[in-house]
Amino acid sequence: MAAESIEVRARTKEDAIRQALEQLGVSRDEVEVEVLEEGRSGVFGVGSQDARVRVTVLEEYLDADEPEDESPQPFTRDQQEPEDEDGGDEDLGDEEDEDDGEEPEAQPRFSDEDTETARGTLEQMLDLLEFPNVVTVSGVDRDGNTTNIHLDVAAEEVGLMIGRRGETLANLQFLLNACLSSTLGRSIRVIVDIEHYRDRREQSLRGIALRAADQVRRERQPVTLEPMPPNERRIIHVALQASPYVATESTGEGPERRVIISPKTASSGRRPSNGYRRG
Amino acid sequence: MKEFLEYVTRLLAEAPDQVEVAETVDGTNVTYELSVAPSDVGRIIGREGRVIRAIRGVLRAAGARQGLRVSLQVR
Repeated sequence: MAAESIEVRARTKEDAIRQALEQLGVSRDEVEVEVLEEGRSGVFGVGSQDARVRVTVLEEYLDADEPEDESPQPFTRDQQEPEDEDGGDEDLGDEEDEDDGEEPEAQPRFSDEDTETARGTLEQMLDLLEFPNVVTVSGVDRDGNTTNIHLDVAAEEVGLMIGRRGETLANLQFLLNACLSSTLGRSIRVIVDIEHYRDRREQSLRGIALRAADQVRRERQPVTLEPMPPNERRIIHVALQASPYVATESTGEGPERRVIISPKTASSGRRPSNGYRRG
Repeated sequence: MKEFLEYVTRLLAEAPDQVEVAETVDGTNVTYELSVAPSDVGRIIGREGRVIRAIRGVLRAAGARQGLRVSLQVR
C-alpha cells in the first residue's frame, strides 16, 4: 500500500511540519518526518532559507478507521501491529521494503522503541516548559556498546533554548540522558541539537582556533580564549593538536576554564614525531 | 514549569509516587520545594550535584522568558 506523503516548504522546519500536518489532517505521532532542507532563520546565519520537509503518514494510521484521538500520545508511533506474518525478522514499520537479502546481524539491533522514547521524552519536556517544538530523530549510530541517538529540535525560541554558550542546551541534554538511563536502564546516549547549533558552533570554534593560532604564530605571544564548556575546549584542542607552531592547554576552574594557545618553544616539543620545526 | 519539574523528577525517581512539588509565587519570584523519598534524594541531586544543577538551569531559562526568577529546593 502506498503511504500518503507530501512535501511542504515554509520559513522554518517547524512551520513546514505544522502545515503538512494540517493538510494531511493528522497529528504529529501519526507521521514520519523527513527534513529535506533545513531552513535558516537568519538568527545565526546571514540570509534566511526556506525549510523543506516530507511528511509521510505511517501505514498503521492510513487504514485505521478510528478518528484521530484528541490527546497526542507520543509513544504510539511504533507499537506493533497485531496482524502481519510472524517471520523471523521484525519489520520496523518503514514504508519502503528493504530487500537486500539477508545480511548477517553481527550487532544487536538497537530498539526503535528506545529512539521513540528518547524523542517523546524530550518533546514532552519541552512541551511542559511551553516551548513550541518539533523533535525529530536525525540519526542513530553505534559506538561500541552504546547506541547514540541524535535528536534535532525545531523551535521558535531557539536562542532561549540554547542559552548562553549553549548552557541550556547542555542542561537539557544532560537531564534527558539522566531520565532515560533511569527509565530504560540501557546504554544509550542521546545527543540533542537545536537547529544544527552544534554543527555551526563547531565550525565557528575551529575558525576561532585557527585564527588565534595564526596570531600566536605571528606575534609569538600566547592568546587566551574566552571560557568554554569541556566539549568546546576539546574542539579547540583537537583543531590545533597537529600544529607544529602552537600548543594548547586549559586553565581556570569550572565555568571560567579556558584554553590558552601558546607558541611551541624548543623545549615544549612534547611530541617527538613532529619534526618540522623551523629555526 | 511545575509540570516539567514533576515529570523529570518522576522519571529520575525510583519511587515516583512519592514525588511532590510545592510552588510558591511571590511577585516575580517562584520557589519550588521538591520532596522525594529519602532514597531518591541522591538521584535527584546527582553526582557532584550535576542533575539538580541541570534542572535549575533549565528552570531558570524557562522562567527568564516570563520574567521570573526561579529557585528550587530539595527536601
